Amino acid sequence: VIAAVAASTIATALLGVTGPATGAALPAVATQAEGTPDWVAARIEARDTGKDSRADMRMRLFDRQGRMRERVMTLLARRDPAGDKTLVRFTYPNDIKNTAFLVWEHPGADDERFLYLPALGRVRRIAGAEKQESFVGSDLSYEDIGGREIADYTYSFSDPDAAWTAPDGSRHPAWSLESRARDPHADYPRSVSLVRKDSFVIVHADVYNARDERVKTFDVKKLERVDGIWTVLSLSVANDRDKTRTELETTSIRYNVGLSEADFSRRRLEQHTR
Amino acid sequence: VSARLADVLWRFRYPACALILLGFVALAPLTNFTDLDNDISAWISRDDPVYQTYERFRDEFGGGRALIVALRSPELFTAESLRFVRDVTEDIKRIDRVQRVQSLSTANVVRALPAADSEESGGIEVQPLLDDLEKPDSAAAVRREALGDDLLRGDLVSEDGTVTAIVVTFDEDRIDEVRGEVIDAIHDTVDRRLPAGMEAYYNGSLEISEAYNRITLENTRNLTPPILLLTILAVYVMFRSWRITGVVVISILVSTVWTMGLFVLMGFKYNVLASMLPALVIVLAIADDVHIVQHFTHDLRDTGDRKHAFLSSVEHLFAPLLGASATTALGLLSLATSDVYSVRTFGIGAATGVMVDFVMSLVFVPTLLTLIRPETAPPPQERWLVGPMRAVARLSIAYARPVLACALVAAVLATAGISRLRVDTNHINFFSERHPLHQSADVIDRYLSGIYSFNILFEGAADSMKTPDTLQRMERLRERLQQLPFVRKVVSVADYVKRVNRELYGGSRDAAVVPDSGDAIAQELFVFGLSDDGRVELERMVASDYSRAQMSVKLASMSSDLVFEQINEAERLAAAAFEGSGITVTVTGAGRIFATLDHYLVVSQLSSFATAFVTVFGVIFIVFRSARFGLLGVVANAVPVFAVLGLMGWMDISLNVATVMVASVALGIVDDDTIHFINRYRRETAHGVSSADAIELATIHEGRASLTTAIVNSLGFGLMVFSEYRPTAWFGGLLALTMAVAFIAEVFVVPAVITVLPRVYGRPAALRRVGSAA
Repeated sequence: VIAAVAASTIATALLGVTGPATGAALPAVATQAEGTPDWVAARIEARDTGKDSRADMRMRLFDRQGRMRERVMTLLARRDPAGDKTLVRFTYPNDIKNTAFLVWEHPGADDERFLYLPALGRVRRIAGAEKQESFVGSDLSYEDIGGREIADYTYSFSDPDAAWTAPDGSRHPAWSLESRARDPHADYPRSVSLVRKDSFVIVHADVYNARDERVKTFDVKKLERVDGIWTVLSLSVANDRDKTRTELETTSIRYNVGLSEADFSRRRLEQHTR
Repeated sequence: VSARLADVLWRFRYPACALILLGFVALAPLTNFTDLDNDISAWISRDDPVYQTYERFRDEFGGGRALIVALRSPELFTAESLRFVRDVTEDIKRIDRVQRVQSLSTANVVRALPAADSEESGGIEVQPLLDDLEKPDSAAAVRREALGDDLLRGDLVSEDGTVTAIVVTFDEDRIDEVRGEVIDAIHDTVDRRLPAGMEAYYNGSLEISEAYNRITLENTRNLTPPILLLTILAVYVMFRSWRITGVVVISILVSTVWTMGLFVLMGFKYNVLASMLPALVIVLAIADDVHIVQHFTHDLRDTGDRKHAFLSSVEHLFAPLLGASATTALGLLSLATSDVYSVRTFGIGAATGVMVDFVMSLVFVPTLLTLIRPETAPPPQERWLVGPMRAVARLSIAYARPVLACALVAAVLATAGISRLRVDTNHINFFSERHPLHQSADVIDRYLSGIYSFNILFEGAADSMKTPDTLQRMERLRERLQQLPFVRKVVSVADYVKRVNRELYGGSRDAAVVPDSGDAIAQELFVFGLSDDGRVELERMVASDYSRAQMSVKLASMSSDLVFEQINEAERLAAAAFEGSGITVTVTGAGRIFATLDHYLVVSQLSSFATAFVTVFGVIFIVFRSARFGLLGVVANAVPVFAVLGLMGWMDISLNVATVMVASVALGIVDDDTIHFINRYRRETAHGVSSADAIELATIHEGRASLTTAIVNSLGFGLMVFSEYRPTAWFGGLLALTMAVAFIAEVFVVPAVITVLPRVYGRPAALRRVGSAA
């Protein structure tokens, strides 16, 4: 479970979806006074991320001993007022090749998830999985990928005039934005994110648990414009508690490729070729 | 030599005492022990291959340092009880340094779902077990599902549904700094809101370590002051002089601080065995000091000359005190051959203490005695004991053969008892049945999967742990292990695959099998690892690159010699199951450590006792410069040691980390009085006294000192029996008994042997062989 700002940014960055956010009770940008923390949060959520996207990704999972496993996948995403849809198909390693995962989001209701295992040859529905859970065994959660309702948080600036130093050494003006969960029982009630002022992309986030110990750190390693859309092409997530790390690299991405409803059907899950 | 040394010590007595006091002041701050270490490394060396395998295992699959809270209630599956489990789980998660909490509240149940339409083949549902406790009949549903789940039943919830466990794991790198506070916070969180009729029991390696830390401090705080007080009283009663008592007490305190300070300077960690050191040093110091005080006061009363009393005491007692101290120190130092860290450091620390006592009794005590006003009246010890000791001497001579016959019968009985000795390092058995740790172990053993476990570590090439062949071998091994007595639960990665396979095939029990296809296994493991909980659970069972895996075997709490048998059998079964697979199999885990510890204790017992036997008797031969009297010393000292070992066998007191030291320590301690006795006997006969009279004089003077020290030491060691830690109690009780038996051997057996063998030990023989020790 991470804060909405970090979540939605990663979601939009990774999935490259566009259009109005589907989460309930999102604060509209127009209703926020410009330059306030809430306005920044709303701008992050509302930024252009395309109608749909097709991306090839390489995920590197590092365990406590520093051993690396690699997974390669294709990720299709489509923004839809009735609910975003995502299809992930693994192409490497060979023993899970063509294993695929489909998520239908439903605003205000539980998501539907489907799994296709080639060894079984059938589609299975998965119910009840928590949003906070790991995304395909990585240090990212579904929330990190799918976003979270930003109205569940309150926002304040830790530093309105912060700066982010990119991996290439360039410095960019940023807000340091603190998000606090409205739910007093939230597992991860606080996060502090760096938001680039020129793109409204979160480039760094520290996530804290109920004891205010940092448990996760997000770092953007590569941020570029693709088809005019700011896209995170490389991201690292370190889990301080489990001493694990996930690196996610987008090897190719195209926006607005015209994906249809049929591309996200359960039958399509079983089809091995793209 | 003794006379020259006495002269040198007299000349430099004040600088020497100043140096001793300076050291006392410098070392005193080191003896405030706050850094306690009772973790497993206190028992086994970090360099040991068995420990290193365990470390490799822990590094891969996480530590087993958990705290188990067992909640027992006949009404466990009610909404109120389950809400309590849920709330407590959440509260414990918020306690500092807690990493994970496993309970019914964190458990997920996996259910097969029917197909919603033709485009899918059914589904699987993963839901928290305690999903919605507000629904009517939800508690009954939770009970049904928990007891129907093979991975939960017997592990997190008992078969009869009356006991459930909350298992807490911690940030292992940082927990030790605040362990006590964290454990207290967990106890408080649970106990404060415990519903009526529910009982909480605490156990697990962290709780045990903390109990050990508490006992270590309690041993130091609760044993040392009463032993010191008793010593003060005993010395006062024996000498009826506060001045002499003061001298002895100051000497003891200085010795103790020196010993413990040097223990710290040697880099040793303070643990439950080390906590017995101050008490041991106090008791041992008495023996030396009583001889010096008795000789000094006697001489001073006769001559009225302090210098003469000083020189005479040092001159006459240097050799026997050196011999006695050296043999005691060697007996203790023999423990340095042990593979068990705490036993080794205890032996070195105690040996240091003995030699510190020796220096104090030779330099510090007589110097202080010269500074106090002399006592004019003979001490009560002299008035009370001379008559009885004379009677004892006459009895031993008159009934020499019956005395030896009794000793022979005792030796036979002792030998039979020794054959009954068994080794047990089960830490739960070290606490009384009423101790909370013992009670919680009983509950967890009886209702859940037990607190003891071992693990089988499988190592091979990357991806080798997810092939059908490997998993099927694991499954066959699990079935064989499950048939062993005392094995409660066996879990491996194969169980997770079976579980997912079952749910993916509609939830039928027939589908709970390892698939034949490698891809199917890989994909099912992939599915299991999709969730956070699944990922964490998998990390505890198999390495991420599938080059290593482990099998967890949980056992009922039992004697470690039984664990040893189970582990040997498991090792054999595992080797057979994986023969020709290219996968190496190693048995490790806490159970393995304890089994190894048993083995080491047996070896320690033999090696340290053999070392003590050779060195102690070597020194006795050197001191007496006589094979015959050396042999007499051997007989006199072997009697109490064998008697105590035999008694341990008859009383079913196991050989464990503490009692394993009794024989070597006893051998070192009891020979002191024998040396003094034989030394006196030979000195008297050398001066022309008859054997019978020499025995009488030795019994009256040295036997009296021995009786004094035996009384003081037996009472001092005897106080240890009040420790709630059984090994401490056994150690103290057995040493107290040893002192008593040693005294009997000295004043009955030695005179009887001398009397029965006049041609060997009679006056002419004594005259022939009298050496410089006399």
